Amino acid sequence: MPSEDTKEYIAKAVEVGRTVLHYGWIPLIIYVGFTRSNPQPSLIKCASMFLHLLLAY
Amino acid sequence: MSSSSFDAPLDNIASPPPPSHKGFFGSFFRAYDRFSQWRTDLDLPQPGNIENLQKEVKATHLNNYMFDGARADLTKSLSMNPLFQVTHSFALGSQTLPSSYNFGAVFANQKVFLQGGVDHDGNVNARMNHGWAPNSVTKAQAQFSSQPGHNMIQLEHDFQGKDYNLNAKAVNPWPADFTGIYIGGYLQSVTKNLALGCETLYQRPSPDLSEFSTSYVAKYTSTDKSWIGTAQVQPAGMVQASYWQKLSEKVEVAADLQVIVAPTRRDALATLGAKYDLRLSTFRAQLDSTGKVSALLEQRFTPAFAFMVSGEIDHFKNAAKVGVGVMIESSTLTPEEMGMVPQP
Repeated sequence: MPSEDTKEYIAKAVEVGRTVLHYGWIPLIIYVGFTRSNPQPSLIKCASMFLHLLLAY
Repeated sequence: MSSSSFDAPLDNIASPPPPSHKGFFGSFFRAYDRFSQWRTDLDLPQPGNIENLQKEVKATHLNNYMFDGARADLTKSLSMNPLFQVTHSFALGSQTLPSSYNFGAVFANQKVFLQGGVDHDGNVNARMNHGWAPNSVTKAQAQFSSQPGHNMIQLEHDFQGKDYNLNAKAVNPWPADFTGIYIGGYLQSVTKNLALGCETLYQRPSPDLSEFSTSYVAKYTSTDKSWIGTAQVQPAGMVQASYWQKLSEKVEVAADLQVIVAPTRRDALATLGAKYDLRLSTFRAQLDSTGKVSALLEQRFTPAFAFMVSGEIDHFKNAAKVGVGVMIESSTLTPEEMGMVPQP
């Protein structure tokens, strides 16, 4: 059984990871999509997409 | 869409010639080689996984497609290969669900599938599949919310052998004390038509409390794959049986029976459904033993515009639901870029 310190550390790490994924998951998909797409869409579309996202959050 | 690209069966594994083993341990290896050679010679089909046991029935019945109120899905495809699209979904006027707005993004290539959605309250759902090989896929699914207690994560690995399937899942695992729900499933083709399997659920809500329960499944597929029957027995006294048949190229019918025989509760639910695939539309109709009659029509006017109408009448409760929806797809790509052949 891990010690109390380790448990606290795990809880903190999970909470940070959860927050990062909560706010970062969809921006990540959009980033990956725009950089890997073929043909690559223009930057202005990327910017408008992030604006939509900001409204959603 | 998520699993179809990874679910391709593996028929092209060539069996290597059995190597010659010598000595004491060699006899074990020879026996094993003979056993695997015999198993390869049986040429049993890949059974699919337990989660998809009733895939055909679920695609025919309209439980998963039913909606009420009004909804609109606006999809914008930015790339076809790799697939990248974003969706704005609106739903309002439903009797059961509050009005909502959802923004979704999907990215998929040969190996990776990423999907995410965020609704107007800031709740995020995330999904990721990674195919290590065509027969070995890891899936992760999560829900993030600012309200405590609404977060969920599910990790899954699916392995398809030549004639069997192995699946392991962990729902909300907590690394500090290993609480959570763990599920392991195994499905094996026994003959060319019959597959048998079991699924074990290990629940551990707190470190000093744990519980095992195992359910058993059977699936019979006819030789020409025109009908499929499945049965599932769960330890709490739940039995589920289903039957699906393809009547013609355009018509599929399915029946499903769920029986619960527990000391505290006795219940049964039967559902009958049919699906018609017409040239530009799909029509589903369903009747169940709680007195509900429902129907759903999806009409595609052009490849980019589809219209849906759904209706449900509950004869026992004297209630009705109606739904109307549109699906609009737009693309920034030219037809050549989308891989379509221009009309001469």
